[in-house]
Amino acid sequence: MHGRVKVRTTEEERARKEKERQEKLKVYKHAMQKIFHKREEGELDKELLELTGKVLSSNPDIYTLWNIRREILIIFQKNDDNEELSQLYDAELHLTEYCLKINPKSYCAWHQREWVLTTRADPNWEKELALCNTYLKLDERNFHTWDYRRFVVRQFKPSLKDEFDYTTEKLMDNFSNYSAWHYRSKLLVELYPDLEGGRPIEDSHHKHELKMVQSAAFTDPDDTSAWFYQRWVLGAVRTDIDVAVFVVSPLKTTIAFSRPVNQAFVASKTRLFFGNELVNGEWQSLTGPQYDVLWVLKHNAEITEGLDVKMEYDREDENIQIIPTTKYNSNTYIGKGEINFEKKYSKPVVEELNNQLEACRQLLAMEPDNKWTLLTTTVFLHCIDAKQYHKETIENLHTLKSIDNLRAGYYDDLITKWSIEEQLIEDYKKDSLDFKIMFEDKVSSLPHLQYYSHCENVDLSNQNLTSNILPALELLQNCKKLSLENNQLTTLKGFPNLNLEELNLKGNSDLVEEVELFKERCNYSVIF
Amino acid sequence: MAFHLKDVTLTPDRPTTLLLRKHSDYLAKYGTDSEDFEYNMTEYLRVSGIYWSLTAMELMGYSHRMPKEEIIKFITTCQNKENGGISACYPHDPHILYTLSAIQVLTMYNRLDAIDVEGVVKFVASLQQKDGSFSGDKWGEIDTRFSFCAVMCLSLLKRLDAIDVDRAANFVISCMNFDGGFGSKPGSESHAGLIYCCVGTLSICKRLDAVRINRLAWWLAERQMPSGGLNGRPEKLPDLCYSWWVLSSLTIINRLHWIKKDKLENFILACQDAETGGFSDRPGDIPDPFHTLFGIAGLALLGNKTIKPVNPVYCLPQETIDRLKLEPQMYKH
Repeated sequence: MHGRVKVRTTEEERARKEKERQEKLKVYKHAMQKIFHKREEGELDKELLELTGKVLSSNPDIYTLWNIRREILIIFQKNDDNEELSQLYDAELHLTEYCLKINPKSYCAWHQREWVLTTRADPNWEKELALCNTYLKLDERNFHTWDYRRFVVRQFKPSLKDEFDYTTEKLMDNFSNYSAWHYRSKLLVELYPDLEGGRPIEDSHHKHELKMVQSAAFTDPDDTSAWFYQRWVLGAVRTDIDVAVFVVSPLKTTIAFSRPVNQAFVASKTRLFFGNELVNGEWQSLTGPQYDVLWVLKHNAEITEGLDVKMEYDREDENIQIIPTTKYNSNTYIGKGEINFEKKYSKPVVEELNNQLEACRQLLAMEPDNKWTLLTTTVFLHCIDAKQYHKETIENLHTLKSIDNLRAGYYDDLITKWSIEEQLIEDYKKDSLDFKIMFEDKVSSLPHLQYYSHCENVDLSNQNLTSNILPALELLQNCKKLSLENNQLTTLKGFPNLNLEELNLKGNSDLVEEVELFKERCNYSVIF
Repeated sequence: MAFHLKDVTLTPDRPTTLLLRKHSDYLAKYGTDSEDFEYNMTEYLRVSGIYWSLTAMELMGYSHRMPKEEIIKFITTCQNKENGGISACYPHDPHILYTLSAIQVLTMYNRLDAIDVEGVVKFVASLQQKDGSFSGDKWGEIDTRFSFCAVMCLSLLKRLDAIDVDRAANFVISCMNFDGGFGSKPGSESHAGLIYCCVGTLSICKRLDAVRINRLAWWLAERQMPSGGLNGRPEKLPDLCYSWWVLSSLTIINRLHWIKKDKLENFILACQDAETGGFSDRPGDIPDPFHTLFGIAGLALLGNKTIKPVNPVYCLPQETIDRLKLEPQMYKH
C-alpha cells in the first residue's frame, strides 16, 4: 500500500465507509465466484470477458483474470471471423487503457497490452508510439511507459535518431527527467560508438554530450539527474584489463589483474617463461569463483637460482606485453605491470574538460557550498590530471564530507582510493616487498589490494579498519608479516587462510575474547 | 521548472522506539477477519502476504503467533497438480512470484515435504528462456524479478542444477545501466527494487564480479534523503520499503557504510503506527504487512539487537540460511 494517508474520521463517517466497502466486497466476491465457476465449466465466452473486465476495471492487478481473458481470446482466434477478432482486440486495448488510468503502474495491464499487440495480425504501432507520448506527458518518469515505449520501438523500428531527438525534447522540457537521461545513455552508445579508437562514444558526440549535460546541470545545480549522467559521460573511456603483478616463488606462482577475469582469460592471454621454456600448468582462482582478480598457477617446473623468468601478456589493444621479473631473496621472482589509473581521453575531449572545469570553478565561486558543483569540480580535476591536482581533490573531498555528511563514508573511501592510486605509482618504482599506507587520512577500506599481493611485509596499523575488510586480506598471498595494530576490529570471523609468520592484532580491544581461540587455530605467531 | 527536493519531515510526534509487541499484535490480527475489505481484495497475492507476515514474525521472535498448520495446509492447496507451480490462492493460476513465497514460507517452517518439490523444480525450470531470462508464468512476461525468484527458489531447494545458471546470470548482467544499476529487462531504467533482485541473483550465481561496485554503491548512497529515508530512483519520495532494497544491496556489495545508518533508523522508526502496530511507506500513512516486514528487516540489517539477524540476499532469518548451509556470495573488497 503506497501513499495512503491515515485520516481521522468521525464514527458516523467510518460506519458509512464500512457499509460501502461491504457492499463492494459482496459484489466482488459474487463476481469472482461466478468467474471461477464458469472457467471450471469451460464456458470461455463473451460473458466471461465481460465479467472479468468489470472486476479488472477496478482491480487491474488480479493476474489470473487477465490469463482467463487471454484463454478466451485464443479461442476466438480459432474462429474465422477476422472482423470480430479485431474488435475484441480493440476492446482489450481499450480495457488496458482504462485500467492504466486507475493504476498506471499495473504490470498486468501493461503486459496484456504487449500480448495483444504481439498476438494480433494487424497491430498499429504508430498509434502505440503516440500513446507513449501522451502517457509520458502525464508522467514523464513512469518506467512502465518507458519500457513499453522501448518495446514498441523494437517492433516499429523508427530511426533511433528520432528516439534520441525525443530524449532531447523531453530534457529541454525538464532537465530533471532521469528516465530520459537513462534512455539517452542507451541510444548514445548505440548511435555514436567510436569504432576506430574503441572508445564507448565517438569524440564529437562525447564533447557535445558534455556541453549539453553541463548546461543542464548548471540550470539547477540542486537537481541530481544531470549530474549522474555527467559522471557517466566523464567516465566513458576505454579501460583495458592490465596485469598488476605476478610472483614466482618456490611456494607458489600468483598473478593479479586490475579487474576480475575468468580462467579462460588467464589461460589464453598469459604465458609464463623460464628462459625459453614455456611453463605449463593449470590456473586456479584463489577462492573458487568463476571470475577473480588473483589466480594461482599449479605447475611442476623447478624454480632455481638465476632463472630468467618473464611473462607474455596479450593486451586488449592487441599488443603483446613482455613483463620481466626481478629476483628477490629465496628464489622469488616478481614482475610488475603498468599502473594505469588515469583516464585516457582524446585531445579535443580534454580541451572540453578544461573549459568545463573553468566554468565549474566560476559557479563554485558563487555557491561555494553546493555539493554537486564541488563534487563535479573535484571529479574534473581528477580526470584531467590526478597527479597534478591530487592535493586539491583531497581537500575538496574533505569539504564534501562536511557539507554532504550523509555520504561521509563514500568520500572517505574515495580519498583512500585516489591516495592509494598516487602511492602505488611511487611504490611500483621501488624494489620493495613492503606495503605501508603513507598518507595522512586514515583508511577504512583497502582498494586495489591485489597490486600489493607480492608484498611480504604489510603494515596496516593505525587505521580505521573494521572486521568487514578481513575477507579482502586473502589477496595478500605472499605476505609473511601483517600488522593490523590499532584498528577497529570487532571479530576475526572472515579472516582468510594466509601463510603468515607473524600477525599483529594489538590495540583492537574488542578481540580479547576471540583471540586465544584464534591463536590455537593458526600456525604463526599472533601478537595481541 | 524550478527544482523541488522530494522528501518528508519527521515530526516530533512520530515514534522513536521500536514497538515490537505492537507489530506482532498487528500481524497476528491481520487476516483473522474474513470480511475485512483490504484482506479480501489482496487475495491475488495471498501467499506473498503470508511470507511478509511470517518472516517479520520470525525476525521479531513471535512466529508462534502465526497459525502454522493452517498456513502449511493452505499452501498445499495452492500447488497446481499439472505444472507444479504455486498460485497466490486457490483457484488462481500458478506464478513464479507466489511459488517463491511459498518455498520461503515452507523453508522457514522446514516443511518442504508438504508439497511436490520436484513439481516446483520442473515449473521453475520450464520458465527459463533461451537468453537465460525467466518469464513469470506461461504467458511470457519477462522481468529480472522473475530471474531472482527462480534462482532463489531453486537454491533453497538445492536444485540450481535444473537451470542454466550461467545464462541466467548473463541475462541479468545485460540489464546493467550507465549508473551501475539494473532494471527489469535490457534497456530498462535503474530502480532500487530491481537492483536488489539483480544483485541478489548475481550473488546466488556467484557472479558479483560483473557488478560495477563503486558506481552502483554511489548511486545507492545518493538514495538517502535529508530525512534519513531512502528513495528508489532519483527525484522520488523516500519510502520505507527501499530501506530494504537499497540496504540489502549495499550490504551484499559491502558498502553499507556509505549511508548514515542512524538517520535511516530514525526514519524507519517514524514509519511505525503507534496505535495499531505495523509500518507504513511513509510516516503517517496506513500500515500494511509488506512495509512491516521491510521495516523490521531493514532494522535487522542496521544491526538492531532485539531483532534476529536477517540474510540480505534471501530476506529470511540468517538461522534458516545457516541451517541450509547456503552461502550466497558477498563482495569482499
